[in-house]
Amino acid sequence: MPETDRLNATFAALADPTRRAILARLALGETSVQKLAEPFAISLPAISRHLKVLEHAGLISRGRDAQMRPCRIDTAGLIGVDHWLEEYRKLWNQSMDKLESYLEVMKAQQAAAPKKKSRSVKRQGETHARKD
Amino acid sequence: MPARTDLDLSDPVSIKGTREFDAPVALVFAAFTDPKHLAQWWGPNGFTTTTSHFEFKPGGVWRFVMHGPDGRDYQNRVTFDEIETNKRIAYHHGGGEEDLEPVCFAQTVTFEDLGDGRTRIVWHGVFPNAEMRDFVIKEYGAAKGLQETTARLAGYVATMARS
Repeated sequence: MPETDRLNATFAALADPTRRAILARLALGETSVQKLAEPFAISLPAISRHLKVLEHAGLISRGRDAQMRPCRIDTAGLIGVDHWLEEYRKLWNQSMDKLESYLEVMKAQQAAAPKKKSRSVKRQGETHARKD
Repeated sequence: MPARTDLDLSDPVSIKGTREFDAPVALVFAAFTDPKHLAQWWGPNGFTTTTSHFEFKPGGVWRFVMHGPDGRDYQNRVTFDEIETNKRIAYHHGGGEEDLEPVCFAQTVTFEDLGDGRTRIVWHGVFPNAEMRDFVIKEYGAAKGLQETTARLAGYVATMARS
């Protein structure tokens, strides 16, 4: 599955509160479908459908034992989410660092070439310059 | 984990960050409204931005290419949804054309005048795909109630990132 499709599948899977509750339970350890279904007021087939969505999204994997098919948290989906979060974090943090520096340039430009509104700013600047 | 303190990950469907600047709100807002300014600061370190189209109004589109330090070009398309001068910009990424990443995700940037020529920016991104956005709108309250669950999940993601 292409990375963006997988990411969309992962986010869609995480959007459902029941599926998040299932993941929270599985974060405590591997378990069977029957055990997983116990705290939920929904049918076993409904739980199975949720598990299929989670499996497709790379959030869980299931054992080969045909009877038990125990579920466990899978790393693939969450690594995709974490990677995406990291990119997002980098984009904003680094953009904001650069914006901070650039605002100083904008302030200097505004002071150097004042429009009608910012004349008082320029006067302040000139006063400082004279003092220095 | 350093540098994550200004990010709120407690809600699994959105992500929020804040930053304060020593500049008046009108100036900070202006930095978002002109590709000439955006080219000076938008993007992660090592990236440059070339804008081919920019229309800063609700429904208007910003088309740009982000040139990565690895030589790769990333096509971007932003559509502005709502604009309130010196207060708020809401937009979404993606959609429309084939050469673009098929991720569609909504973003709001709010500007707060802190007085004394200082400004706070809050950015709030909502994770991609329509189901996710609908979920946020309809069940935001419910999602908040599940914070314990999601905090554990976020913790798990963090653990895996380290391993």
